[in-house]
Amino acid sequence: MRFDIAAIIAILVSVIITIVVARLAVRNLSVDNPSKMQNFMEWAVDFMHSTIASSMPVHKVRPYLALGMTLIMFIFISNLLGLPLLIITDAHEAFPAIGITQEYLDSHGGVAHLAWWKSPTADLAVTAGLALVVFVLVHYLGMKLNRKHYLKHYLHPYPVFLPVNLIETVAKPVTLALRLYANIFAGEVLISTILMLSWGGIPFMIAWQGFSIFIGAIQAFLFTVLTMVYISQATVHDEEH
Amino acid sequence: MDFLWTSTLITILAFLLLYWGLNKWAFGPLFGVMEKRRQLVLEQMNTAESSRKQAEQAMSEQKAALEQARREAYEIIEQARTTSTKQADDIVQSAKSEATRLKDDAVKDIETEKNKAISALRTEVGNISVQIASKIIEKQVDEKAQEQLVDQYLKEVGSK
Repeated sequence: MRFDIAAIIAILVSVIITIVVARLAVRNLSVDNPSKMQNFMEWAVDFMHSTIASSMPVHKVRPYLALGMTLIMFIFISNLLGLPLLIITDAHEAFPAIGITQEYLDSHGGVAHLAWWKSPTADLAVTAGLALVVFVLVHYLGMKLNRKHYLKHYLHPYPVFLPVNLIETVAKPVTLALRLYANIFAGEVLISTILMLSWGGIPFMIAWQGFSIFIGAIQAFLFTVLTMVYISQATVHDEEH
Repeated sequence: MDFLWTSTLITILAFLLLYWGLNKWAFGPLFGVMEKRRQLVLEQMNTAESSRKQAEQAMSEQKAALEQARREAYEIIEQARTTSTKQADDIVQSAKSEATRLKDDAVKDIETEKNKAISALRTEVGNISVQIASKIIEKQVDEKAQEQLVDQYLKEVGSK
């Protein structure tokens, strides 16, 4: 059993930051005199509400609101985590527990760069975990709330299409995981590439950091919206196709 | 870059814990407060609506009361006017009838007096003429024939 220490640290840091931000926002809850943080959080909740409502009937939004908020906050914070700094150590000896095998060392000239600080979402294993949660949730909700139409949709429009529908079912979480991973990982790769320019890379770095924030927000939003669309497709049979 | 399933597992656990924790300590209370505010706003809007309706009702009631009062005042004035007109008419009427009655009475009195005077005068004239005649003619004419003669004469005089 091997652990990726960097990924675990990154996940824990993301979780802690998310919880701290959320707790700060709801520290002094008030009905008629909300604080600035509470206002911001309520704006975010309203935004999430309208976003979810665009994929399913309004009265069904409520149970998924907390899920959507958790997803978008966790992924957004995870995406930003890798931007400001990158801690890399060089390992010269094999350390199988964290993924440095002798073969890896041999193939890379005896040196392995270990990134201790990165976006958790720049790791396919992490995004796969998130996608898996969504996958299980979507099919559980489909079976629980909308069993008849959920099962029927695999044979839609004709039973011959079963393989196609199965591929679609598998492709959804796979694309979900790959899209998020690829975007964030590519961003970090470009950051480390720009770092090779040393001082000359500062303008590029500024531009790319800004753009990465944008990408991080977009990807978090996309992941959440797609999750809601999948849930809606599985549970709301009016919108099934 | 290799795929470590432990990371996947840890992600799933961490995410589920995060969801549970946030739901319990952050979003639960936040949604509660938002719902409470929604209720508050709804309640205040309802209150505003009902008080607006009340104000409207009071307004229309007052308007109706004002209209009623105006109508009553007009009626009273009208009534007073007709009463006074009628009273004036009555007074004039009664004065007129009184005057007519007085005039009639007077005319009647005059007539009576005149008749009385005429009959008295007639009697007197008859007597006098009888006396004169008896004195002049000296029993050549009896009293009865004389009276007849005088009456005839007086009738001719009266009819003229």
